[in-house]
Amino acid sequence: MLMKKILLIMIGVFFFSTGFAQITGKIFDENGEPIPGATVMVKGTSNGTTTNSDGKYSIEAKTGDILVFSYLGYQRQEISVKTKNIINVYLTPKIINMKEVVVLGYSNKTKTEISSAVSVVKAAELKTVTTNDIGKMIEGKVAGVQVVTSSGEPGSEAQIRIRGVSTIKPGNQGPLYVVDGVIGGNYDPNDIASVTILKGAGATGLYGARANKGVIIITTKTAQQSKPSFEFKTSIGVRIADQGHLKMMDGLQFYNTTKELYRDTINHKIDLVKFYRDYPRELSTRNYNWVDDAFNPALVQNYYLSANGRKGGFSYYLAGTYYDEDGTFMKTGYKKGNVRLNTKYQFSKNISLKNNINISNDYGSSYDYMDLYYTYLNLPWDNPYDSTGAPRYVDGKTKGWWSRDHINPFNTIKNSDHNYSGFSLDYDIVFNWNITKWLSFNSANRLSYSTSKSHDFVSPVAAGTYHGKGYIHERQDNWKSFITTNLLKFKFQLKKHSIDGLAGFEVNNSYNNFISVEGKGLPVGFDVPAVASSEQIINGSNSKEIFRSLISQVNYNYNSQYFLTASFRADATSNFPPDSRIAYFPSIAASWLVTNMEFMKPVTKINLLKLRLSYGLTGDPDIGASRYMGLFSLNTQYNNYPAAFPYQLQNYHLTWERTNEMDLGIDFGMFNRINLTVDIYNNITNNLLVLASQPLSQGFQYRWENGGTVTNKGIEISLGGQIIDKKDFNWSLNVNFSKNGNILSGLEKPIVSTVNGISQIYRNGAQLYTFLLPKWLGVDPQTGGPLWEKITKDSNGNIIKREPTSNYSEAAPQEVGHALPDFYGGFSTALRYKNIELYAGFTYQYGNDVYNFVKQFMNSDGHEPYYNYMVPESGWSRWKKPGDIATEPSMQNNNLSTEPSSRYIEKGSFLKLNSLTFSYRFSQKIVNSMHLKGLKLSIEANNVWTWTSYSGQNPEVTLTKADWSMPGVSDFRYPNNKQFVFNVQIKF
Amino acid sequence: MKKILKINIIGLAAFLMILQSCGKMDVSPSDKVTTGSISNSTDGIINVTNGNYAMFKDVVSFNGFKDDNNEYLRQYFQMSTFAGDNIVCGSRTEDPLYYSFTYTHSPSQANARYFWYVSYKIINGANTVIDILKNKKGKDALNRQLEGENYFLRAFCTFNLVRFYAKPYNEGDPSVNPGVILRKSAEEPSAKARASVKETYDFVLSDLKKAAALMDESRGKAYASKEAAWAMLSRVYLYKGDYDNCIAYSDSVINSGKFTLETSASFPTYFANALNRSETIWAIAFTPADNRGKFGSIASMVYSDGNSGWGEEFASKSLRTIMSKHLNDVRWSYIDTLYTDNGSIAKKNGIEIFYITKFSFQDGDPNLSSPVMFRLAEMYLNRAEAYAHKGNVNSALADVNKIRKNRGLQNSLYTSVPTGKTILDIVLNERRIELAFEGPRLFDLLRNHRDIVRNYWGYHIPGLTVSDIDLSHPPTGYPNLVIPWNSSKVQYYIPVDEILANPLCVQNP
Repeated sequence: MLMKKILLIMIGVFFFSTGFAQITGKIFDENGEPIPGATVMVKGTSNGTTTNSDGKYSIEAKTGDILVFSYLGYQRQEISVKTKNIINVYLTPKIINMKEVVVLGYSNKTKTEISSAVSVVKAAELKTVTTNDIGKMIEGKVAGVQVVTSSGEPGSEAQIRIRGVSTIKPGNQGPLYVVDGVIGGNYDPNDIASVTILKGAGATGLYGARANKGVIIITTKTAQQSKPSFEFKTSIGVRIADQGHLKMMDGLQFYNTTKELYRDTINHKIDLVKFYRDYPRELSTRNYNWVDDAFNPALVQNYYLSANGRKGGFSYYLAGTYYDEDGTFMKTGYKKGNVRLNTKYQFSKNISLKNNINISNDYGSSYDYMDLYYTYLNLPWDNPYDSTGAPRYVDGKTKGWWSRDHINPFNTIKNSDHNYSGFSLDYDIVFNWNITKWLSFNSANRLSYSTSKSHDFVSPVAAGTYHGKGYIHERQDNWKSFITTNLLKFKFQLKKHSIDGLAGFEVNNSYNNFISVEGKGLPVGFDVPAVASSEQIINGSNSKEIFRSLISQVNYNYNSQYFLTASFRADATSNFPPDSRIAYFPSIAASWLVTNMEFMKPVTKINLLKLRLSYGLTGDPDIGASRYMGLFSLNTQYNNYPAAFPYQLQNYHLTWERTNEMDLGIDFGMFNRINLTVDIYNNITNNLLVLASQPLSQGFQYRWENGGTVTNKGIEISLGGQIIDKKDFNWSLNVNFSKNGNILSGLEKPIVSTVNGISQIYRNGAQLYTFLLPKWLGVDPQTGGPLWEKITKDSNGNIIKREPTSNYSEAAPQEVGHALPDFYGGFSTALRYKNIELYAGFTYQYGNDVYNFVKQFMNSDGHEPYYNYMVPESGWSRWKKPGDIATEPSMQNNNLSTEPSSRYIEKGSFLKLNSLTFSYRFSQKIVNSMHLKGLKLSIEANNVWTWTSYSGQNPEVTLTKADWSMPGVSDFRYPNNKQFVFNVQIKF
Repeated sequence: MKKILKINIIGLAAFLMILQSCGKMDVSPSDKVTTGSISNSTDGIINVTNGNYAMFKDVVSFNGFKDDNNEYLRQYFQMSTFAGDNIVCGSRTEDPLYYSFTYTHSPSQANARYFWYVSYKIINGANTVIDILKNKKGKDALNRQLEGENYFLRAFCTFNLVRFYAKPYNEGDPSVNPGVILRKSAEEPSAKARASVKETYDFVLSDLKKAAALMDESRGKAYASKEAAWAMLSRVYLYKGDYDNCIAYSDSVINSGKFTLETSASFPTYFANALNRSETIWAIAFTPADNRGKFGSIASMVYSDGNSGWGEEFASKSLRTIMSKHLNDVRWSYIDTLYTDNGSIAKKNGIEIFYITKFSFQDGDPNLSSPVMFRLAEMYLNRAEAYAHKGNVNSALADVNKIRKNRGLQNSLYTSVPTGKTILDIVLNERRIELAFEGPRLFDLLRNHRDIVRNYWGYHIPGLTVSDIDLSHPPTGYPNLVIPWNSSKVQYYIPVDEILANPLCVQNP
């Protein structure tokens, strides 16, 4: 190496003497980071050099020579030497970079070695959306990952489902998070270096015990180079509530709608005399827009400052972020500050110690559901404000108030608070010792502590149930966790055989407790529990969860052509009874890298062809502590004395929910420019943890049992390509498509779950989240009344007749739709011309049904004469006289028309322009003149437009099955945001 | 090398500490006891017994969460009173209480499901104690009292179930008509068939007699007592049509000397202070911490001070009509008329607002009361009805007059049955006024084979809109104005959850 350098210098000296010029410059990666060790050659000669640690190079060349810049994993660039002596170069990464290291948690591998379904999203790809939530950042970018943004509340998180839904129990249905190789943990999105998503069993295998729902691995940034370097990024933008198609009526529209109540049932004429008597004409001119007043443009800001560098054996990354998001709805917002310090100290060649610390603090102002409810439903005839412009006090005795329930939500909002704050601390210490050339020991440990506090306060001056008394409720939750992973890792290479692996154990203890206090009888002007003088209630308890695991894995590869990975882990959790606490999770994965075979050498157009096959078991113990015990709860009192009530039936056989995951995949690349990945999978989840229905007459509604199977089958396709790839002009396109089919089997009997009167059925042969409702057959043209479908069955249960009925109770519930989409995905395109870049990202979803619950209230057919109506979508019409073909029933003949039925089921398919970004990177010359390393400006728009036929706010509705929420049901909710942001990124 | 050794030692020490810290893997909940450990102490038995009372007033988690509406007593009063003729519906609502007005019941309606569920949860709690104490030898007085209370609670819940979900005892053949599922132990197989109405009554009566014999150490009016068991025997025998026994047990309570009727002066403040008043035999204790406020209190639907409740259901026109003969009747004090500024009666959706305050004003709070389950007045009126059925007119009138004397009607006592009325009419009218809104009215009608007549304006009329209402004359030609006493719509459906999970259980028609 040294000899080569000397030789190069000598050649340089020789050329210099014959009229050659000295060309110098720097080589940068796509993020503007200098690349050390990149190669610079003069084309057609052996004249070449490499960049130093700051990415600088210097080479002799003459005018007309062509310089070739290259670096592993990046595309070669050729530049001809003209008159300039300084040539700075940006290299763009190759789309397929097989040497790239992928973080898999317990171990890292190159892409070549991976035999299962893994997706990686790099930092640069995440930053197309300004948000504090990782879910929104990966939305539409990864095949097999469904991201649903169902709320625009500040600080809210999107819901993520990887390869469908594999569980039917309430609670967490999202993936397992791993930060810097250790399960759990907190991070700031600005600190993310890369995100790895594990989908197939071969890869999820090592997290098998908790990996049923997929794994998202987050790796935070570390030192990049030796010289201290800094980055400052700021984003400032504005958000606007996205009400979708939903628009409430104005005063006149509502006035005319109310007239329908006075249409007589014989002549079908509106009795205007009676109407004007009851509803003075003046009302039609009153026009207070509650929704416009309640929702206002809001500011979003994000500031990030980081420093990193290396000195001797010590390297560091230090970053601070401040995120501040105002809510579009009155008095809501979210703020978060985060500090991270990642350091590594290399004691000696073989021993290193890493310390990562993350501290975060957040504060949010939330809202009360009922305040949102009345904002939409109060009438445009009622003025929320008094003559001074303050929100009016309104109660049941207020005269001249038209809206139902006599509540002014703006007054309530002004006189109440719903705040929360949180603090978290994560401390990681990772010790690594290379014992011998082939054996190393690695111990990764994390101590986490987090606490959160909520504060709900209603002043005694607020109208409503707490008037004159006030109400305060505070709750503090504390959570503490300790996890240690200790692994011996080995690695051998014997000619063409290479083998490596690991074995070790993991212990994870987590503790949580809460304390809550509430009370009434507050003096005006005070909002702490100490001043509550009556009805004080205290609550609090604690629990813990213990995991112990043995972990092992072996990887083998032959000549980088054939790969085999086998892993095995045994896990025990305190959530299950002693005899069924332990479960085993084996997995195996194999792949064949065809392009590394001798016979493929002549085929140069195909640069990648790899076949993958994986199979394994994963698990889900996520039901909380003590679910197997027979219990009486002491969490009540009678007449101020302790009391215990029957709480839970025992089941000493309860055990893990487990998934058999099978995945077949192919990676294919052509011309170094096109990349195609296709995976098909079949995931069978057995032993579903279900709340099995009991006869209520036992005194228990459910018992936790294992039973039933969910099968998720699907196909995922990602296609990416550089369509144009020139020095000054790039155009790339990425498309992904995911189709997941979902079916239940093996359930002993169907489970029907009902929330707000809306039912879904879980039965063998049906997919999850299937709506079970009376079928709406529209409006009877003769009577104007609602019609549903009546089904007559014979003694064998076969349907012998279907006919319309106007009697709701005769309409049998039927399966009328499902909340999960048939397919979904995203596509994006990026254009670069010189320093200007344009990016557009779309997401789409097709085939899911949404239950428009709010429409039951917002289009009440006269059932609720004092609630406002939504402006009808085109195509809706109200029945007025016999013979009308109408969609909405007569207000005179509306009996039970707004009861739950398929009337409220709508198509939830959509296409969304999720992100549109325009950015400008200042040329290195200008940047240098400002003594900076990089400067980039960008303007970004998020959630720009949604194409959908859905009549409500947004077809993206919750997929969370919880006791109070049903997947696919659109309740009153905080609308999503359209967002417009200006970003500045400076490196120095 | 030294350094490596040092690190090694530190590493080893840390490793050992980690192993130490793992500890045992069994986790016990911090606020719950295992079912098996209850029998270990009298404390455990007291706690479970108290828990059985607590479930009458608690919001117990149902379908996985706590809905403020779901409270045994709220459902008990609404399912009985709203299906009768004393309360009018002033607003359509999403709340299933609406189905009691409209008689559009379904097996999946939440209030009837919850009521069934919590009734059996209390029975399960009672059975847990009974199982422990039943065969125990040498029980002290406290343990006997606790065992008796649990027999009583099991009987109370079973009897309320049979009233809602089965036909009256005297409709058809009670030994054939299905009653409810009788849970006799906490350790029974989960699937079980409904007993007949007769078997259900026999089971209830047998439990009550055991309870009366066991309870000698009264724990106060918030708990069951020997007299409470007698009071309930009086009620059950009346429903069964066994009038001699009804009279006998009414006598036992009346003659126990432990209770006196409220007077005309004290009656208006009785319900706000029921736990401390001598007319009360048994009431469910609500403390300020049990105040469910607007979103769950019993009062919230029938009263509002402007902020405190929904205030959507009011005293019915037909009740007010029979009371209007005597405006000095102190029982008017529980009907609170809302007026507008110009002095006319305020309306909600076209219906005049007459709030009901029997469930308000404990500690002055509009949403707080300790609902009375048994009081002395009912004993006189049970006995009066039994006498009426036996044709003993004078004794029946004497009992009715005893009540009227204490309700401001000392100048309007009956000396004979007015012409055109029967003695049963007189007794039932008095019961209707005295026990209004407390639950029995619907069952008084059914037991005496009288139709439920609601020929007044209100939202029990299907499809009614404000513009249809004309208070100058009663509604005519609408459906639902009269529900025949023997209509199958009167019984609530067995909850769908029971039918699906218990193949032996038959549904009501």
